[in-house]
Amino acid sequence: MADTIKLSVNGVEVEVPAGKNLIDAVAAVGIEIPHICYHPALGADGNCRMCLVEIEDGRPPLVAACKTKAAEGMKVRLDSEKIKKIQRDIMEFELINHPIDCPICDQAGECILQDYYVKYDHAPSRMRVPQVTKGKKMDFGSGVVHDQERCVLCARCVRFTRLITKTGELGIVNRTDQARVNIFPGRPLNNRYALNVVDLCPVGAMTSKDFRFRQRAWFLTKSKGICHGCSKGCNIYIDHNREKYKDDIIYRYRPRHNDLVNGYFICDSGRMTYKLENEKRLRVPLAAGQQVDLESAVNALKRRMDQADKLVFLVSPSCSLEQMRAIQQLATHKAAVLSGYSEGYIQKGDGDDYLIQDDKSANRAAFALLGIDESKDTLTAALNEADLLISFGNDLSLSGMDCTALGKTELAFVGSYANNCADAASYLLPVASYSEDNGSIINIDGVLQRYGAAVVKNEPLPSMLQILAQLGGAFGDVQAVWSDLNSAVEAFNKVDLQNIPAEGLALTVSEVDNVTA
Amino acid sequence: MEVKILSARFDIADANKLEVAKKHGAYGTLEKLFTMEPAEVTEVVKASGLRGRGGAGFPTGLKWTFLPKGLDKPVYLAVNSDESEPATFKDRYILVRDPHMLIEGIIICCYAINSHDAYIYIRGEYIYQAKILQAAIDEAYAAGYLGDKVLGHDFRIDVTVHRGAGAYICGEETALLESIEGKKGQPRSKPPFPAVEGLYGCPTIINNVQSIASLPFILEKGADAYKAYGTEKSSGTHLFGISGLVKKPGMYELPLGLPLVEVVDKVAGGVRDGRTLKGIIPGGSSTPVLTAEEAQSVTLDYESMAAHKTMFGSGGIVVLDDTVDMVKLAENLVHFYYHESCGQCTPCREGLGWMLKILGAIIAGKGKAKDIDLLLELCDNIEMKTVCVLSAACTMALRSYLNKFRSEFEAYIANTASAQPVM
Amino acid sequence: MSNRAELMESGKPFAFDAERDAEFERLAKRYPSRDSLILPSLWLVQDQQGWISTEAIAYVADRIGTFASQVYEVATFYTMYHLQPKGKIHICVCRTLSCYLLGKQQIVDYLHNELGLKPGQISEDGLFSLEEVECLGHCGSAPVVQINGEFHENMSVDKLKEVLATLQSGGRS
Repeated sequence: MADTIKLSVNGVEVEVPAGKNLIDAVAAVGIEIPHICYHPALGADGNCRMCLVEIEDGRPPLVAACKTKAAEGMKVRLDSEKIKKIQRDIMEFELINHPIDCPICDQAGECILQDYYVKYDHAPSRMRVPQVTKGKKMDFGSGVVHDQERCVLCARCVRFTRLITKTGELGIVNRTDQARVNIFPGRPLNNRYALNVVDLCPVGAMTSKDFRFRQRAWFLTKSKGICHGCSKGCNIYIDHNREKYKDDIIYRYRPRHNDLVNGYFICDSGRMTYKLENEKRLRVPLAAGQQVDLESAVNALKRRMDQADKLVFLVSPSCSLEQMRAIQQLATHKAAVLSGYSEGYIQKGDGDDYLIQDDKSANRAAFALLGIDESKDTLTAALNEADLLISFGNDLSLSGMDCTALGKTELAFVGSYANNCADAASYLLPVASYSEDNGSIINIDGVLQRYGAAVVKNEPLPSMLQILAQLGGAFGDVQAVWSDLNSAVEAFNKVDLQNIPAEGLALTVSEVDNVTA
Repeated sequence: MEVKILSARFDIADANKLEVAKKHGAYGTLEKLFTMEPAEVTEVVKASGLRGRGGAGFPTGLKWTFLPKGLDKPVYLAVNSDESEPATFKDRYILVRDPHMLIEGIIICCYAINSHDAYIYIRGEYIYQAKILQAAIDEAYAAGYLGDKVLGHDFRIDVTVHRGAGAYICGEETALLESIEGKKGQPRSKPPFPAVEGLYGCPTIINNVQSIASLPFILEKGADAYKAYGTEKSSGTHLFGISGLVKKPGMYELPLGLPLVEVVDKVAGGVRDGRTLKGIIPGGSSTPVLTAEEAQSVTLDYESMAAHKTMFGSGGIVVLDDTVDMVKLAENLVHFYYHESCGQCTPCREGLGWMLKILGAIIAGKGKAKDIDLLLELCDNIEMKTVCVLSAACTMALRSYLNKFRSEFEAYIANTASAQPVM
Repeated sequence: MSNRAELMESGKPFAFDAERDAEFERLAKRYPSRDSLILPSLWLVQDQQGWISTEAIAYVADRIGTFASQVYEVATFYTMYHLQPKGKIHICVCRTLSCYLLGKQQIVDYLHNELGLKPGQISEDGLFSLEEVECLGHCGSAPVVQINGEFHENMSVDKLKEVLATLQSGGRS
């Protein structure tokens, strides 16, 4: 089968990917067929009727584009008066019983009804009879709040719980215009992906308790990012905003489509990790237990390193590839023992066969490629002799080690988040977190992904790479690390680190083999 | 005018019992059946010109040939006994008065399409009818007509009665399949058609009770004997249900092709004394109403109905006399289709309720002049924009009342309507 | 259509009795998919306790091994399933087409005036409940009334009085 086919849309021939339905096929060349119920992850349901198109010389002449496979030579008509009228009519039916409460609706600004009204309808209301009334503000569990009156009965949420999570908490009960989405009494949404129904909902019927009424959607900057909540590396949108006189704050994460990694969805716990970026952050540098400015703290730690007899570097499995390499380089330079011991990041049995992984670190796969030792023995042996331990973001307490009882070993912490280990440190260097920095991570399936800085704080923290350079490291920025990786680390010899594709790069089996061999 | 083909045993006492039915010829075709090739049976049915008696009139034998060949999946037969279109009550007679004719037809059909599992979908309201049918099935099992070896032949047939529970839409064949599968009766998009992907994802033939019940006669007497009744394109006989404002309402078996008004007058006794004919609904509530004048030239066959821009439908004829308030009747019918909308497709789900409320406002004296044109436009906006034809059943009917009896709607709107009690 | 989404609890757990349990197991062999047992199971529930409670829906879902939401969908979609208790004498008056033309309204009005019942209501003593239903498939003998499942054809107010009197005196109609 050819990879592409040719068909005509409104009399113009276009070449589109083969094997897709009409909506997806022509979307690939930038042509929109309006649709509400269809979602590529959930398949075609065909209930909204918004995607009806004419097939010239076709039988039947009018088809739902979501249910129709694009075929060679097909003549599709979207711009006829007939189709435009159908689109107007469907919008009218969608809106007659809709409350049109946009001012108080969280979906306003990203609502399909608003967008399609402007694009495809633009007609005044002819509804002069009483509207159907239904349930409001219904707690569906898992942080999802439902408004039955705003709902367009597209069944995306119902299909999500039946097809994706296979938990089936939602259903559409009744028939006629009394049909409505509901949970069965006493059996609320109870799955670890439930909040995806909020994103899937094309209107304001499904809202997130966490996000409700906090921001108008149009004020949010929607930056691309990678979730660091586990080793899956799900692609996300980091939605953030700097309100007047305030700092740049993240208000929510939403899934970003990437077939190589997470498809269309993310888990709820990963979604909520945005809170860590706003809260629980390290801000105040310490030197020998005293609050100082950052420059003094860096210099103090540098001096302390120079005085150290036996030095141990502990690196977090959530550090970026670039950070890890720079730490590794500095360790070599300073003759420090380098450990990646972090078994506490792994929550055995917590993962599922979908997105959630046992390993709650973001970049453990890079340890193997860089040859960073993860064994407990190496670390404990080194600590027995060490007088200074520098942890780069690694919360050793997660792995059952008491950071307040390291004996003669003094503790320094270079990282972004407050934790037991950071609390116990006498030297503390706060650095930018992943939402404020750029870098690369390799997920559990060996996919190398690049992320850029999304948030710029009013008082930005330095990146870990900058700190490492100030501490005597060789690399000033990621470019320098990439050149080094290309030349010095076998696994990256053939990887074009300058040009990682947007969807990530699946490292080949041989690259992984090279390391383990 | 009446004939006794399907209804031959209807007037025999206890013909629902196997012993009685058998005495009068039931299961007489089975010996012959098993000497035939399945394809031969299909050919006979095709040659008979039998058309689906559920309402759509699709040729029954031709439908069977749509089954894909050489699949390793089972083939299912679903017998549509959901009979819910207002004015339709013919299948009930078969279920109650001659269920063995239906079972014999099922055996014939299963043999022809190589199916071993038949489900009879019976509307939920037919409670005692379902009991009589089940008793007949039990008898047929006991007598060896059903079960692992039908009459000793190496051919299994199991028949299961599946009761609906109050949903007209389940008469739509894919909604019927969804309902058997344990879901809401919401029609599926087609293609795929059920013959290719039906019940449990397997090839499935769905035939109406009367269609299936016609098979024993066709097999016994041959295609020509069946074609001897009716017209060239509309062959055979049909169980017509005549109801409404007529002297002798009831179920009558007639050959196709008879003049409609003559049937109403001669078979059903015509309108009540002192009344005049106002219109006739020719084939169930969804078929566009005929004015008295239009009805004069209509004959009871698929072609004549189509030529008069209405449909043969299910053979449910409703006679309307001059006492009928067409606005209220239209509202009554729109209420039915609204109530039965499965709620799946936007235009039907939202549109039918809207139309019903507009009609309610008109009747309540709150109508506006533009409401009639709005209703006509909504009919267009809804019709054929949905997965199934339930909404079209509503709009085709409503449009006919709006167009043919527009002055009555205008009278309501002008507040001049005399409140005519219907009786 | 009215909103049927509000379920009622019976306040006690539900389970099939021995007879219905046997019927459930018999039916289970007739279908290749257990979901097909949803409609028959709801009928069995209604047969056993007269109506379908929240507990019964949960029981059916768990017994079949399907989502409660799907059984809930089915129970609310099909209007013959009673989602609250009905009167001892449950009266369904056909409201459609031929029954409408032949005076179903007089029957409904009589029940309203005599028993104080409106469609959808149950009498205070729990004896009567009334529903207006769509076409019952008895148009040739309209108007038709279905009482406790039994059809009464060619009805009139007078005939209805007789039927109700017989039923109230404990006899069969």
